[in-house]
Amino acid sequence: MIRAAALLAAAFAAPLVLVDYQLVFVAEILIWGLFALSFGLVYGFGGMLSFAQALFFGMGCYGFNLATYKYSMGTWGAIGLGITAAMLFAIPTGYIATRVRQHHFLIVTVILSVLTSAVLASGHWRWIAGPYVTRSLPFVPTVAIGPWEFSFGSEIFTFYFTVVMVGIAVWLAWRLVSSPFGKALVAIRDNEHRAELIGLNVNRLRWLMFTFAAGIAGFSGTLYVLLARYTNLEFFDWTYSGKAVVAAIVGGASSLAGPFAGMAFYLVTTEHLSRYFQQFAILFGVLLLVVVRFAPDGLYVTLARWLREAMRALRTGSRAA
Amino acid sequence: MELLPVLVLNGLVWGLIVALIALGLSIIFGLLDFINVAHGDFFMVGAVLAWVLIDTTGNFWIAFAIVPVIGLIAGSLIERGVLRPVENSASLSIVASFGLSLILQEGVRATYGATPKRILDPIGVTFPMFGINYEFYRLFAAGVSVIAIGGFFLFLHRTKFGTWMRAVRQDREIAVAMGVPSDRIFMVTFGLGTALAMLGGVVAAPLTSVEFRLGLDVLPLCFIAVIIGGLGNLPGTAVAAVLLSVMEGFIMSFAEPTTARIVSLILMSVMLLMRPQGLFTKVTA
Repeated sequence: MIRAAALLAAAFAAPLVLVDYQLVFVAEILIWGLFALSFGLVYGFGGMLSFAQALFFGMGCYGFNLATYKYSMGTWGAIGLGITAAMLFAIPTGYIATRVRQHHFLIVTVILSVLTSAVLASGHWRWIAGPYVTRSLPFVPTVAIGPWEFSFGSEIFTFYFTVVMVGIAVWLAWRLVSSPFGKALVAIRDNEHRAELIGLNVNRLRWLMFTFAAGIAGFSGTLYVLLARYTNLEFFDWTYSGKAVVAAIVGGASSLAGPFAGMAFYLVTTEHLSRYFQQFAILFGVLLLVVVRFAPDGLYVTLARWLREAMRALRTGSRAA
Repeated sequence: MELLPVLVLNGLVWGLIVALIALGLSIIFGLLDFINVAHGDFFMVGAVLAWVLIDTTGNFWIAFAIVPVIGLIAGSLIERGVLRPVENSASLSIVASFGLSLILQEGVRATYGATPKRILDPIGVTFPMFGINYEFYRLFAAGVSVIAIGGFFLFLHRTKFGTWMRAVRQDREIAVAMGVPSDRIFMVTFGLGTALAMLGGVVAAPLTSVEFRLGLDVLPLCFIAVIIGGLGNLPGTAVAAVLLSVMEGFIMSFAEPTTARIVSLILMSVMLLMRPQGLFTKVTA
């Protein structure tokens, strides 16, 4: 509780310290972190090594574009349609994918991603992709909150909006993983056979979690459109899922904060530092190898453990003195 | 719309090259339980090294002889020096090989450049077949792949080291108890897998344009072949790779290329759901 309050206070104080482009960068970290969290949910809590998360991120963007372009909906409706599109897409794909296990699950999600990208890129089915996949928003989105209308042209508003939305999503995810449903999933992850014997419907629970995580990924997709005002076919690509996989595992996939930590590490090193040193991506590769060697539980988990041990050492030290 | 036999033959040639790469992936996957996301990039590095060697020496055959050896040495060193601590953990192996993949891709982009380059047909002989002038090099590439695959299976079944590799895969603890040097086996396995990918890169280099993203398209194909063939079933992997590619060539004769890709992927998914243990019954390889 105290930690959450401190985080909130930090988030609300941030615009006092940071300049506009840094605020946007922090918002970007939060959005991609939420995307990584969607992988953390399926893998860290459900044991499903999914390379399909980018599909649902992309579907979130797709739903948003469909809503604003075709049905001229407002921002709330577009966010809703984005999440709905991602979850609707997850129902059949998740049904197929959750029937298989481990390496097969991974390959099925890769196949689904390659398949969807191929369909959307194909000239043959232009009507599916339409103008909804690759698009630059021709307008600055606004959102109505109560009687007020806010514009995403303001960096400070965009930042606050992102913080609140990501906060709500994380809260939902936290409620979910600490519910009996979340506990059942962890039981399945740790020992599927035993979970089945005590009467859990393994495939259906995995399918439910897959769909919920898809909704989270779709949500992060819609938030990204609001922030960056453009979408791309690239977002559907399995290599984008790879980024979520790497960020979540590097940060620590079985905690809610880990994926955010991992994504912050990823974006700060690759996007930010590469401005000063062009070949930074190479160095990032080396960093990844170092992290898996020395912090195999993830950066967040390892750092938290170090901190706890340091605190304990301090306390016992002062007592001894 | 090209002629059916030509497309199927092209599919067969490409499928044999993919089979070569997928075999490399499969032994790393099956023996070390290591999900190697960087495998496609080793293929890419093979093609790039071929381009560089041809550029400096002007001779394709030097590249053809040297690159697989470089792969064997580099792969062994990487396994020993970098990857050993993360083996036997699927998620960490993905992160580590993702890091490796970044190093390879960005390293190639920084030195070789981002523009795709082409290699001239090193044989340069065509002959009339099915009404067009077919490049002899394609048949040569197919032949090399078949010989390499055959040689690999001979190595696996007829040499002491190959037997050890199979023993470690079957039961690591018992193999170690019998005195099999499992650490050395792991090193050589990774080296061999990398060598196969780089050989595939050299052979494929004159058939495609060489650039730093070359591995990204090949990797999913290889993973699909490994799973469809049955995890750990090496002959199955090779057959699945060829089947996939020939099927795509066949469909391409009456539909456009993306449709062919989509149809073959759908067939693969159906196959995977119906036979999750792989297309072919388990053969101990």
